[in-house]
This record gives sequence, structure tokens and C-alpha cells, in this order.
Amino acid sequence: MAEILCRFDELRDGEARGLGPFDGSGAKAFIVRRHGRLFAYWDACPHYGDTPMAWRTNAYLNAAGDRIVCASHGAEFEIETGRCVVGAALGKSLTPAPIEATQEGAVVFNR
Amino acid sequence: MNIIGPDALVFGVDDIDACATYLTAYGLNPASVDAKGGRFEALDGTAIVIRRRGDPSLPPPLESGSMMRLIVYGVADRATVQAVGDELARDRQVQRLADGGIEAVDDHGFPLRFQVTNRRPLDLPGERINAPGAPAQRGVNHIGVWQDMPAKPRTLSHVVCFVPDIAAAEQFYVNRLGFKVTDRLGNAGPFLRPAGTQDHHTLFFIQTPPHMKGCEHFAFHMGGPTELMLAGTRFLKAGYQSFWGPGRHKFGSNWFWYFNSPLGCHVEYDADMDLHDDEWTPREAPMSPEASQAFLFEHREKWAPGGPPPPGAGKPGH
Ligand code: FES
Ligand SMILES: [Fe+2]
Repeated sequence: MAEILCRFDELRDGEARGLGPFDGSGAKAFIVRRHGRLFAYWDACPHYGDTPMAWRTNAYLNAAGDRIVCASHGAEFEIETGRCVVGAALGKSLTPAPIEATQEGAVVFNR
Repeated sequence: MNIIGPDALVFGVDDIDACATYLTAYGLNPASVDAKGGRFEALDGTAIVIRRRGDPSLPPPLESGSMMRLIVYGVADRATVQAVGDELARDRQVQRLADGGIEAVDDHGFPLRFQVTNRRPLDLPGERINAPGAPAQRGVNHIGVWQDMPAKPRTLSHVVCFVPDIAAAEQFYVNRLGFKVTDRLGNAGPFLRPAGTQDHHTLFFIQTPPHMKGCEHFAFHMGGPTELMLAGTRFLKAGYQSFWGPGRHKFGSNWFWYFNSPLGCHVEYDADMDLHDDEWTPREAPMSPEASQAFLFEHREKWAPGGPPPPGAGKPGH
């Protein structure tokens, strides 16, 4: 079953948004729009394992809006792949979350 | 050597605006801010300084990309600056600055500056409590808390770094700069106290692989646990991300509340740290959740007991 979270066109390019918690588990996720595409990851930094990544509501990206940054120790991740490219989570990747944009422009969580 | 503690930490950041907003909301006073960066001060003038990552006035960054670029230590007097300079010049380059300060790197390559401290002496009451059996600290008709009670960071307390070689880090600060180990968390590292303060620690290390080398967090002292709780609650309500706390550490006894930050490290409020002198014998415990805190809480929304008023309540005629 898919749960509608928001509309894709509410996000500007280079913008991120925190979502959740899902399933009453406390697990949160975030989405990023880049070059017209949507990317979604669980809000859990692979450095410490399961800790939240933003420094403020929706603040998941660097100033240029071209990398995800963990606000715990500054590890930087590629938006497209979730791969850590510098910092404390080097060699590790973010875990994709089951969130996608539909043909109709809705952002949905697939449980 | 009469080193007092960190006067300032200098960061080379990615997003000046984000850091300026953050440090101001945390409670530091933006003493000077422009497009190049700024200086954000606690009540005694100790500070976080931010510059752009590529600012040529900063020492070169660590390979790890950690944003902390310089630790500025305040010392008692010129003679101490001189003594530190002479000691470090024995095996490394020491830069003598026009203002009388010196710069050198520690054994992990962290740039350090030593200067005669520029802290302003504070004269403020601490948190006062009333307890049965003890003389009242807060007199009759003095209230303990109100909603917009001031809760500002008073002074820069400590900095915690990830380093690959704990033994080397400890030896450098103990043997070369006269720090004392107050306590040790096994597999993490030593709590270190310089000779010019009684604070349990102004420096702590956590052992990690080399690619993580950098700052884990820094903390400012608040006036007491109530100020810490108020400041943290306000920060959280403004949308900032709590990371750990509020709680109370065991070693040091300090209350803590950590937040994520755009400075590439955690930022902590702390309060009511233990004081020690050279009579103290260091304790040791393996690093674990149990050893790290006496208790730990998580914030929840404000709430009050009681449902809606009973039918007829508040009407005249009773
Ligand atoms: S927890 Fe994310 S970089 Fe350390
Ligand atoms: Fe701390």
C-alpha cells in the first residue's frame, strides 16, 4: 500500500525534506530533488549507524545543494548514489528508503 | 604550564549563513559578522570563529575534511606562552605571531595557537537549589525558574577530537604541555585537564580510524542544569536537531545536551562539571552506555495533567 507524503513539485531542485516517522517505528527518511529527479534515503548516518543527519528541519544538504551532509561530523554523500565521498562514513552508503514519485507527481511511501 | 583552556575554536565551513544562524540561535553573541565569517562569543568572550573553508588565512585542513581548523588556547601570562613555545620548538616548527601568540601543530597535526587569555572574568550567580537538611541557597521569595529566564552559554568548556592514536595524543598533552589525566574511558580515551583550570576536562579524545580525524564536539558551560534544560528546549523548539540528551555524564558529572550542527561536529550545552586538583586519582571504566551517563532523557512536548473541566465548573451560583 502506498501512502502519499507530498507533491514532487513542492520541492525545488537542490532542496531536501525530512519525512516520517514511518510505521510508528520512529524511523525517519528524507528526500532530495536534483536535476528533476527524486532520491530518498533513511535518515540514519552509516557512521554511527542510526543517528539523525540534519542540523535543522529539512537541512540535509551542503550550501551548493549538490551533496548530502551529515550534521554530526560532516561526512558528505553523493545525492544520486548515497555513497560517502569524504569524512567519517567513508566506505559506507546511505540506505535508500522506499519512497518514489509517481507519474501523477505524488511522492509516495511504499510499505 | 599554566594553560587555562580553549579561548576559541576556529572553523572553516561550507555555509557561513547557516553557521551564523545556528551559533546565534544556540545562544552565542554575534560579536562581529560579515561575508567572510564571524566571531560568536559566550558571556566571558570565549568564542567560536567561522571562516569560509577556502579562506587562505586558515591553517590547512586535515585530510579528513573536518571543519575545525584551529584550537586557540588561553594561558595565564606571557611567560607561559614563551615556555610553551620553547618546549614545542624542540621538535617542531613554532610560528611566533605579531600579537605575541605562537602557533604549532600537535602530534596528530591539529593546529594550536597559544595566547595570553582574553577571557573576561565573570561575576554571575550559579544555579541555587534548596534542599531539606541543607541551608537554603535560594532565599525566601526568590523563584527558581521562569519561562524567559536568561540561559546563555557562559564560557567555552571543552573540545573532543577523534584521533587514530590515543597514546600519542595523551603523551603529547601530558608530557609536553602539562595536562593531567582526570579519568579514562577504555577504548575511547582520556579526559584531560590543563594546569590552569580545575575543570574535570577541557579536552577528550576518542579513538577512530585516521579518515575520521577531526572534531567530535565542543561544549559551552551553562549556569546550571535549569539553564541547560531551558536553552536546549528553546533550541529544539526553533527546529534544531537534538542528538543526545539531556542527561548527566558520570565522569565529570556534567549535565549534557548535544545537537547536530552545520560546523561538521556536535555542539553541546553542559553544566555543573566536577572540579579536580592534583590530589585526584584517575578512574578508569570501559566505554559503554552505562559508563557514559548516569541517566538519559529525551525531550517531549509540554503536557499537563487533568482533562477538561467538570460540567458546570466556573459558573456562578455555587
Ligand atoms: S554520524 Fe554522520 S558523520 Fe558521524
Ligand atoms: Fe562533552
